[in-house]
Amino acid sequence: MEIIRNLTRRKLRNILTISGIVIGVLALVTMGAMAEKFNALLAGGATYFGSNVQVADSSGGAIGAFGGGLLTLDRVAALEQVDGVAAAFPDVSVTAKPGSTNTVSFGIPDYVSNLDPRANDYSAVKLQIAQGRTLTTSSTGDVVLGSDFATEFKKNVGDTIDLPIRAKDAPPDFVNHGFTVVGILAKTQTAPDSGAYVSLTDAQMLLKETLPASIRNSIDTTKLVNGATVYGKPGVDLDKLADKINAEVPGVKATKPSVLVASFNAGGAIFTAITTGAALIALVVGGLSVINTMLMAVTERVREIGLKKAVGAKVGHILREYLLEAVLIGGIGGGIGLLLGWGLTSLINAATASSNLTLFLLSWRLVIVAILFSVGLGAIAGIIPALRASRMDPVRALRAA
Amino acid sequence: MASIELHDLTKHYKQGATTVKAVDGINLEIEAGEFVSIVGRSGSGKTTTLDLLGLLLRPSSGQITLDGMDTGKLRDGARADLRGKKIGFVFQDFNLLPGLNAIENVMLPLRYHKNGKDGKARAAALLDEVGLKDRMHHRPDQMSGGEQQRVAIARSLINRPSLVLGDEPTGEVDSETSQQIVALMRRMNREYGVTFVLVTHDMDVAAQTDRVIRLNDGKVLSDVRATGDQKFLTGADLQGVIA
Repeated sequence: MEIIRNLTRRKLRNILTISGIVIGVLALVTMGAMAEKFNALLAGGATYFGSNVQVADSSGGAIGAFGGGLLTLDRVAALEQVDGVAAAFPDVSVTAKPGSTNTVSFGIPDYVSNLDPRANDYSAVKLQIAQGRTLTTSSTGDVVLGSDFATEFKKNVGDTIDLPIRAKDAPPDFVNHGFTVVGILAKTQTAPDSGAYVSLTDAQMLLKETLPASIRNSIDTTKLVNGATVYGKPGVDLDKLADKINAEVPGVKATKPSVLVASFNAGGAIFTAITTGAALIALVVGGLSVINTMLMAVTERVREIGLKKAVGAKVGHILREYLLEAVLIGGIGGGIGLLLGWGLTSLINAATASSNLTLFLLSWRLVIVAILFSVGLGAIAGIIPALRASRMDPVRALRAA
Repeated sequence: MASIELHDLTKHYKQGATTVKAVDGINLEIEAGEFVSIVGRSGSGKTTTLDLLGLLLRPSSGQITLDGMDTGKLRDGARADLRGKKIGFVFQDFNLLPGLNAIENVMLPLRYHKNGKDGKARAAALLDEVGLKDRMHHRPDQMSGGEQQRVAIARSLINRPSLVLGDEPTGEVDSETSQQIVALMRRMNREYGVTFVLVTHDMDVAAQTDRVIRLNDGKVLSDVRATGDQKFLTGADLQGVIA
């Protein structure tokens, strides 16, 4: 009680100090939430691509689904014959918003991809249906939307959606097809949130329409896919399996999962550095102002400290009282900063949801870190003033002017 | 056995090249329940003696015995404990905590030394006894000097001490209030049998005590007791003392 009243004795000064911590924690929370979102995105990628082997045409990129040459379905069948392979699924993926201006994106651009419900049995990233149902292997005209995709285009189960999405300045020969939304996925915080999932047949039809008109009708796209995702049998080393595929199946290129995972983790390190930077600034600015405030409080209350010692307070009692006061300053600042950060990130997320942009993820981990951080900051900053108070000579303190 | 015994007590300070002998060989015995004043010019060592008695200072040499316990061997923590349990303080400028109301100020020593579960009731009873029943929830800045000092007296008694030390307890109040304060302490002294030692330069205050100890240059110059049936010292008793 006395500690709370002590805070109100120098209102302006304590408000200013608390504001310093509020700003620090606000910075920590917003930067941290941004890093959490990005890290979740990357962690999802690392988990997914670490659990399978991505196979592309031998002239293509690392991940078949994102560009590169096309693979024929018989190659996918050949993959399943390799010893150690549990299953191989063809991947077909096209952009959901062809022609839209998308120079720099923080997240993953919307895409339309095929989904084989059986892949869930093997993948480390399990897709959960939040509403409706998943696809059946033979369904056509049905689509399951990722949670962000559904929010962006305001679709519910039972609605229809034309895919790909028509851009405002679409060319005259642009075609798209109506799909019925049969299900919406639970939020994953990573790639599947931005996806629309259709059957392989439908995906191949959409793939065909992305090809130049000159060759579109001369090839049989029902036999073509972008790449394949291969799952190993339990206990099989996937890096070795990738080597084995490259050796045994001609015309394909399997990428070692460890290579992909390493590149995801490297991206996460940058964001972790940004968060740490924000935390350090908060630490320095907030910490110094708490030290300053508490030192002033101790100087002002020299006689009170002397009196407390005279009536029997020991070093530990005084130390505890002043540490607690500093912790309270830190905790109040942290609490307000956290609330403001939560409000700000929620507002921005709501404002950007319609353009497939989720910037922030305020995770429980981050909330706990912010609270511990602000309380710890108060405690550390309070040590010097509290020590000064507790070691005061009672006679000098009592007779101080 | 006396409540307080001082043997060859000294307190020397180094001040630059010279040594200040604030207390320079004091021998005193004060019995339990006495009502004593210590007088002297400023610089006579009376405040230092009080600080030594209150275990706020350690002597340079000599011995302080409280209720038979030699306090010289005690560590700082044990001295704080002893202060909390056995010694009450009343200061010139009251030294109440501005953030706490009257009853909370009275209960402050209990924060550091719990003494039974009836602390709040005891604090209320003490405030009632010093005539502040209606002021229990007032803050110090809402009370007069006399009222604040009465809160301080209640605070000094909350842990049922055997000794209350007053450091110029009437220095900041007018003469009428001063009379009331001393009368109140006298009443508490009788009622609870608590020893009171008051440092003062106010001879009217000293005249109301049973025994006047005069210090000069850190030594006891005179030690006069009220004699016979006299309740208070007379002007004649103090003639030589005050000078």
